[in-house]
Amino acid sequence: MPDVGSLSIALALMFAIYGAVAGVYGALAGRAAWVRSAEHAVYVVCGLVATAVGVLLYALLTHDFTIEYVASYSSSTLPLRYTFAALWGGQKGSLLWWVFLLSMFATVVHVQNRHRNRALMPYVTATLLSVAIFFLSLLVFVAQPFERGRPVLEGADLNPLLQNYWMMIHPPSLYMGFISSTVPFAFAIAALVTGQLGDSWIRTTRRWAIFSWFFLSLGNLFGAKWAYEVLGWGGYWGWDPVENAAFMPWLSSTAYLHSVMIQEKKGMLKVWNMSLVLLTFALTIFGTFITRSGVISSVHSFTQSGLGPFFVAFLVVVIGVSLALIVYRLPEMRSENTLESFLSRESAFLFNNLLFLGIAFAVFWGTVFPILSEWVRGVKITVGPPFFNRVTAPLGIALLFLTGAGPIIAWRRASPRNLRRVFALPLAAGAVGAAGLLVAGVRHVGALLTFAFALFTLTAILFEFFRGVRARQALMRERPGRALARLVGKNRRRYGGYIVHVGIAFMFAGVAGSSVFKVEQQVTVKEGESFSVGRYTLRYDGLKETDSPHVAVLAAVVTVMRGGEVIDVMHPEKRFYKKPKQPTTEVSIRTTLREDLYVILGTYDPDTKAATFQAYVNPLVAWLWIGGLVLVLGTGVAIYPGAAERVPAFAARRAPAGAVTT
Amino acid sequence: MRIGRFLIGAIIIGLAVSYLVYAGIRETSVYYLKIDEFDAKKGGLTGQDVRVAGRVQHGTMNWNASTLDLSFQLGGFDKEGEPATVVPLSVAFNGILPDMFAEGRDVIVEGVYEGGDRFVARTILTSCPSKYEPEAPAS
Repeated sequence: MPDVGSLSIALALMFAIYGAVAGVYGALAGRAAWVRSAEHAVYVVCGLVATAVGVLLYALLTHDFTIEYVASYSSSTLPLRYTFAALWGGQKGSLLWWVFLLSMFATVVHVQNRHRNRALMPYVTATLLSVAIFFLSLLVFVAQPFERGRPVLEGADLNPLLQNYWMMIHPPSLYMGFISSTVPFAFAIAALVTGQLGDSWIRTTRRWAIFSWFFLSLGNLFGAKWAYEVLGWGGYWGWDPVENAAFMPWLSSTAYLHSVMIQEKKGMLKVWNMSLVLLTFALTIFGTFITRSGVISSVHSFTQSGLGPFFVAFLVVVIGVSLALIVYRLPEMRSENTLESFLSRESAFLFNNLLFLGIAFAVFWGTVFPILSEWVRGVKITVGPPFFNRVTAPLGIALLFLTGAGPIIAWRRASPRNLRRVFALPLAAGAVGAAGLLVAGVRHVGALLTFAFALFTLTAILFEFFRGVRARQALMRERPGRALARLVGKNRRRYGGYIVHVGIAFMFAGVAGSSVFKVEQQVTVKEGESFSVGRYTLRYDGLKETDSPHVAVLAAVVTVMRGGEVIDVMHPEKRFYKKPKQPTTEVSIRTTLREDLYVILGTYDPDTKAATFQAYVNPLVAWLWIGGLVLVLGTGVAIYPGAAERVPAFAARRAPAGAVTT
Repeated sequence: MRIGRFLIGAIIIGLAVSYLVYAGIRETSVYYLKIDEFDAKKGGLTGQDVRVAGRVQHGTMNWNASTLDLSFQLGGFDKEGEPATVVPLSVAFNGILPDMFAEGRDVIVEGVYEGGDRFVARTILTSCPSKYEPEAPAS
């Protein structure tokens, strides 16, 4: 059975090579039959890779420990859902999963475009298949998923830290985000190669770009929530190289979603947008390189795998080809318009792009610094969270301001009167908020600015909705509810985007509250003793022990009091997994909108019966997750298909000379 | 000139980012040394923040649960039975004992080197040597 899997992968590689070559040949020789054949090759590759995944899944479900991968990442006692997760839990499985998703997306793209973009498609096919060829080659020659291992009676099991439901959703989301960014990349390459530099490739990939961005957002948020709930160090983001690897493509992707609107409206920033699409894809490859190669030490690293050099080579090819093509087509990507005013929405978008890329640059620099310093000076120098926090905080705060200013500032040129009208109320709200916080004793500048700008943003966007609804009420004589539904329905991208901005404002508030005003306490207590943290008093009321073949659990009973009243009982745990022998901490969290009470059971001494606890109070952290939900809602609205989109008038804005037609 | 104004804004942001990165690195960067590299350089690192990777020496771990004080010797990655190649560091740490911390484990300590063989750690990073790699399965 495993041989079927290996054979499928090898065949997939062959068909992928055939498809890439046939597609290009068909395009160059003008022979449509070859192009069709290449597209069929995509479907065949998809089927073959799906077969391989099916075989691996079958091997996992039937506990076929003759296969080294199955023996390494599962066991006969592993719960079913984590057996599924073992598909992507190990190095080789995740590579197979990558090419599986890629081939599925490629299939969808080809079905979507079977009657469209005929000039671009052969090169889209070739590009998508070329990426597949890279991963399939790794799977055939370097990291074979169906390799036989030493005969064993029982598997080593999935790492206990991965045995929770986050493992079911965090890697898959991130992979969806990473891999779907290959689609805009492929279209960008095709546009550059064919010279079809009009907006067709952008319009075709618009939903793919949002789709990719959405899953990158989700993937990052899931990772943060996982770290917070499971890893038990009281925080949700450690600026670990692998976290940064997933964050950077998100930054360039967000920048692109904004700057592409300028290209749609004014025919500007063509080279910039092209570069952002290529950069985002390159960053996903760079990200997976960091995760897999062990080159930068991280809590996430798969082992020192030897795959590093291959990824570097692939990355060099990707960047080289992209740059060469852009330079080649530079003369044909002239702007059709110029920036009219410093005070305009276009300008706000440009500044937000610079800020996003500035953050990405800073994060990149901090992440690769250890490698570079070792290379240049022979000694490794690292930077940790303090570096990342102090660099990204000011840039982030500036972005938060734009998050509110962007939606309300006028296109083209904002007159002083217009500025006064739209900015007055939001700025006032922000100022009032800041004043209130000052009165309450808050002196931290970053926190003051964050909350002020968050209020500014919320007010600005609320006002946008309000004015839109009022306008419809006046013109169409609709009741407010209907007016709101119609308003959003007819401008889904715009109002969906506004909702996302609200989510972002919430998230900033959550981050500011939980970083600046965090309270921590560490203490060892005997049964019956109490300690305090923040507004709470915690009393250690003993320990419960349970045992099972899979795991032994020590659960502490902690009674929570505030103002003399008992308000809750919490159960932080220590777990001892049997194979592999590993202790883990199950954090206990009590969440309210105002703050989280976060309790960790450190060590327990059976002789003295004393338990060591670490407790945090994290103010406002719930708003980070609420903001995430709002972001999801907003994206759903923005991406919801419908004919009611007002298509920007591409023809109208085109300058008389030098324009490229689709 | 419109483009000129915008370019100035872009340059300001660029300079701000560069400055933030530069200052950030200068003020928060720490050397990350394996203990043998640290042994060679430690003369010049007294009083400085540094990160050192080493192995917790057997028989040297001392943990006081009521004061949360931990002390241990951090030595080299020598195989069992072989003579030590580096002078061990005496590390002092106050806080919750990390889950994976045990004698014989590889750890990374970050803190201040006080001179001689004294090191005050602010953070201890532990890692299972092969976190995502399988333990050799029992046959």
